[in-house]
Amino acid sequence: MTDRLLNVDRRIVFLAIVVAVGAAMLWPVPLPIPPSPYVMDVYRAVDAIKSKPNAKVLLSFDFDPASDPELQPVAINVIRQCMQNNIRVVGMALWPEGVGLGRAAFDSVAHELGKERGKHWTFLGYKPGIVTLILNMGENFKSAWPIDYFGTSTALMPVTQDISRLGDFDFVLTLAAGNTIDAVWVTYAVDRYKIKLGGAVTAVMSPDMFPYLQSGQLVGLVSGLAGAAEYEKLEKSPGSATRGMVPQSAAHVVIILFIGFGNIMYLISRRRERAGELSRLRKRDAVAKGGAGG
Amino acid sequence: MLFLKRTLPLIIAFVFGITAIALYYIPHQKAANLTETFAMWDRLIAAFAYFLALYSLISLHARRIRRQQAGWGYSLFVYFGIVAMVAAGFYNRGHWALVGLESDGAYDWLFTYVYIPAEASMFALLAFFIASAAYRTFRARTTEAVILLVAAAIVMLGRVPVGVLIWSRMPELQEWLMSVPNMAAKRGILLGVYLGAVATALRVIFGIERSYLGGGED
Amino acid sequence: MTEGRTRAALGLALAACLVTSADAQGTTEVASSPAVSLPLPEEVRLEDLPNDNGTGLVLFWSRDPQAPPSMVYRAEVGLAPEGPFYPAGVVPASAPLASEAPKVFGIWRNYGDRQYLIVTSYMVPPDTVGGAPRTVMLEPGKRYYVRFSVADGGVQATLANVLVGEPKQNLFNWSKLNNLAFGVFFGAVILFFIWLARRNPNLYIRKIAGLDAVEESLGRATEMGKPVYFIHGLDGMSSVSTIASVNILRPIARRTAQYDTELKVMNMDPIVQAVSQEVVREGCIDVGRPDAYNEEDVMFVADRQFSYAAAVDGLMVRETPATVILMGYFYAESLLFTETGNQIGAIQIAGTDAYTQLPFFITTCDYTLMGEELYAASAYLSREPKLLGSLRGQDVGKLLILGVLTIGTVLELIGVHWLSRLVMPL
Repeated sequence: MTDRLLNVDRRIVFLAIVVAVGAAMLWPVPLPIPPSPYVMDVYRAVDAIKSKPNAKVLLSFDFDPASDPELQPVAINVIRQCMQNNIRVVGMALWPEGVGLGRAAFDSVAHELGKERGKHWTFLGYKPGIVTLILNMGENFKSAWPIDYFGTSTALMPVTQDISRLGDFDFVLTLAAGNTIDAVWVTYAVDRYKIKLGGAVTAVMSPDMFPYLQSGQLVGLVSGLAGAAEYEKLEKSPGSATRGMVPQSAAHVVIILFIGFGNIMYLISRRRERAGELSRLRKRDAVAKGGAGG
Repeated sequence: MLFLKRTLPLIIAFVFGITAIALYYIPHQKAANLTETFAMWDRLIAAFAYFLALYSLISLHARRIRRQQAGWGYSLFVYFGIVAMVAAGFYNRGHWALVGLESDGAYDWLFTYVYIPAEASMFALLAFFIASAAYRTFRARTTEAVILLVAAAIVMLGRVPVGVLIWSRMPELQEWLMSVPNMAAKRGILLGVYLGAVATALRVIFGIERSYLGGGED
Repeated sequence: MTEGRTRAALGLALAACLVTSADAQGTTEVASSPAVSLPLPEEVRLEDLPNDNGTGLVLFWSRDPQAPPSMVYRAEVGLAPEGPFYPAGVVPASAPLASEAPKVFGIWRNYGDRQYLIVTSYMVPPDTVGGAPRTVMLEPGKRYYVRFSVADGGVQATLANVLVGEPKQNLFNWSKLNNLAFGVFFGAVILFFIWLARRNPNLYIRKIAGLDAVEESLGRATEMGKPVYFIHGLDGMSSVSTIASVNILRPIARRTAQYDTELKVMNMDPIVQAVSQEVVREGCIDVGRPDAYNEEDVMFVADRQFSYAAAVDGLMVRETPATVILMGYFYAESLLFTETGNQIGAIQIAGTDAYTQLPFFITTCDYTLMGEELYAASAYLSREPKLLGSLRGQDVGKLLILGVLTIGTVLELIGVHWLSRLVMPL
């Protein structure tokens, strides 16, 4: 019986996760979402430039639909924060899948706030090259992006007219599901072009980012679904990330309960093994003594 | 032929490698212009890689269908997907492909309602796999395993609002764990990794490492 | 470049500013109360910004420890000595010292207690009403006139003399000299040890757990009559980890050809596939088994992360390989591979320098090579001099870094900062 409990079929584990997440989604409970310091740093970095004339923010959509639940809410809320404070915002994508996501984010917020493409925002689209694209942008923004995603010249649009290089942006936020932050943005853009960089990453990648936070190469970090929910809280617009906190909490609790259960079963089975081993040794000794005596 | 397959690529790797290193130390505008030119060339080459990937994909699945290898039905779906997305992109709600992509067309629909859910579903599998892997392997067999177990529990609880309910300082503890011990370990690993990267780059530049050319010893 | 003014001249300049100020609110009255004196710095210099491409000038001045926190220093730029002048930059009184910015100014010049303001552009008012101001960058070789002032609330004091400067393009970034020195040193060490390894190929590498298991796992696959899967990871051929994994593939291809075991290589990149095909083919030829090579077994699976993961998982479940070797840089799909491999009962040996995936590999694989061990594995298995030598060179580099870290920490703790200043811009 202990062996069976020690090696519960993985399908039972999967079922427990389904039940916990499903129940949490159907019957959500309010949970506190205190913003963490690194998330607040990103929020403040955007907030700090709102009084600056011609403030410009660049958003880079370096993620694919798999990371949409974690990063898209951050994109939407940063765009909203920028547009509400009359900060011009430009979007681009280093991953081809980021194009559809970037467009959707801009379309939804611009439509909601009545902002005009070309004047208040634009989306540049995707270009291959990654590192070389950043280097190109760093030296000559308009040669890297002569037209935006919709075919309008960047030299003619008010939102990009006076941007001649990457360093002209007051703040750059990269939403990354891969290694574009450490391998590309920090290494090239921050080092060479001295941009102010913030990051939004999937939860699994956040341990990778801490050295850059400590060194100041990243001014702040929004990490995973929890970070996205914290940003929604700061922006006072609860959305999908906030709703996702309850199921995520439920899943984590279930995992920890299973880990605890597995360890309890492991300790019980180990004690039984030791007890069985002792008993076998005693029997052997008894037999040996009996043989010697006889 | 050997010159084109071996010698010329090595010369190109050396010249561009040394030049790229030198450009990092030269702030002059001419160096910046050269960097920009190299960047544009590289982007052109990267774009060609897509054609190579498409050709490889199509020829691989064509071979599977032709020979009716196990699972060849899935290869039919590959063609179906390619044709559907390319056709939708080219048609572009009647505006065809030479203008920007139109919103709310077939391409958008396929991307939003087929591609995104498919990718998200694959990613969502991880939640289940993590649960089963954690249950199976996070056992207190050794001291190191106990440390791993405790750290995992703290991070898992600290990252979600439930952790705040259990202990108000759980997020702080999680933050400390990530910022101090985790960072120390990461920096140690990173130092070795980046030194290895520099060594490999030097080997490639000086033509000592030739595996990227495809086999062959020095 | 000019020097500062005395306090008497300062009072006159301040009075002039107050009289000509259009906004009387918030300014100190001129006659009836003592003039509020804002301290202009003793020595203000305008120089070319070092280590740049000729688009910057920099103002230096001695720090005033008495300066109130609300005080700011301003620079305005014009194209003629009489103006007009346009806003070009502002820093607070608490701005850092030039000696605290070695990445900009290097470490060789002694700036003392000088603060700085870098000027690379100026803001020109909009041409039309309601338009946006324009940023104009400084140009190399062009003469600019800079007006320096101190402001606190509504009070401002301006240096009477306008400073003149010309940005110049620099040929070398001296603040990166230590970076270059370390790079050259490290490169020389690597090349030296490669040369040494070619003369003495018996360089010692410590035992790496997991690599001995490769032999055992290949034998297991042979006995069971099942294939061996080699999964590269997601990065392309330009990635160091992919180069390392290709170097590991070679001896594995040799072994599987020798044992007549099926080896299947999964690729996400067509270029990596082409290289892998060559490597496997040459591995088979090396052991006299060119017939063992099957081009279709080194396959391009898909070029998107989760399509790749789904396809490989499907193949694993259908073909149930006995051994799965994962070498390279992995992302979120790592756990998808290893859990599936665990489900089918395969021996799994993983090696990656992807820090975030290490916990998943460690918990689900039988053996894991962490970080640099991936690079060492290729040297360990192949015993190629170039790999052995560069591994030894990396160790020397690491020793140097460890030494600097240890000594530097001790020196910092006792208040000696020269070593950290030396390596800081690195």
